[in-house]
Amino acid sequence: MSTERYVDDVKPGDALPPLVKNASRAQLFLFSAATHNPHRIHYDRDYAKVEGHEDILVHGPLQGAWLHQFVQDWAGPRGRVLALAFQNRGRAFPERDLVFHGRVSAVDGDVVSLEVWEEDDAGAVLMPGTARVRLRRRAA
Amino acid sequence: MGLIPRETAALVGQRLGAPVSAAIHAHDAERFAYAAGDTNPIYFDDAAARAAGHRTRVVPPGFLVWALEPPRPLEALREDGLWRDAGPPIRLHVSRVLYAGEEWEYRAAVHPGDTITAETRLASLEEKTGGSGPFVLATTETTYTNQANEVVAILRGRRIAR
Repeated sequence: MSTERYVDDVKPGDALPPLVKNASRAQLFLFSAATHNPHRIHYDRDYAKVEGHEDILVHGPLQGAWLHQFVQDWAGPRGRVLALAFQNRGRAFPERDLVFHGRVSAVDGDVVSLEVWEEDDAGAVLMPGTARVRLRRRAA
Repeated sequence: MGLIPRETAALVGQRLGAPVSAAIHAHDAERFAYAAGDTNPIYFDDAAARAAGHRTRVVPPGFLVWALEPPRPLEALREDGLWRDAGPPIRLHVSRVLYAGEEWEYRAAVHPGDTITAETRLASLEEKTGGSGPFVLATTETTYTNQANEVVAILRGRRIAR
């Protein structure tokens, strides 16, 4: 997160280094608290089963925050995330690896378009998305 | 077109509720960043943020949604733990509303000490049919503006109602 990334060094097809997240139950509780979200599917396993889930669920917006972190860390401190879009396709559970992937889809001037997605430990895509990032150019 | 009452369909394009304003507090934003496991120094340290080209430290953009959440009493809780007034205040013939995703445009950084105003309108309602029957894809669009009247972010939030 400390290295600057320059648009000169980026080309379509480049892969982003994957980011692995594995949320503990306590982290999910803290995220519920930090977002004033009392929905029981995020901390009450018995209740989660009532709604048809095998375990408590990782919050969609937490996965969104991870996607943002993934993109911002890749862009470096001078990179500016201009846009981020994602779809919630599948359920994410705590204590399992969730892996964020991405690749450069286009470079237009100083704006880089990315395809990003989150996979679970079985390789299912839980959250596909896109992002746009503005990067600086190396001084000539 | 069974799931969308006519008076709800008429709300498309309209503002949903009054605009909401709130101050952005550093500690709340840091709690959000820590809870997400994101320790990027631009969220915690003014010097690091300045080195990255910001005026002072910034807040994680996703925090905006929560900074604008109104405090609510316990009586506002439903059995499932959701707030009675959570989600767009629109009437649909459905039993469950699911989180379907978000689409963000980030226009300017948000700093602790800013006052942010959020205004939400109902962007669209689309009735569709999926594997488990008919559903409504509801999209709201929230515009976040700072105290200088500068748009800092636009969020299009999608929910599936079935």
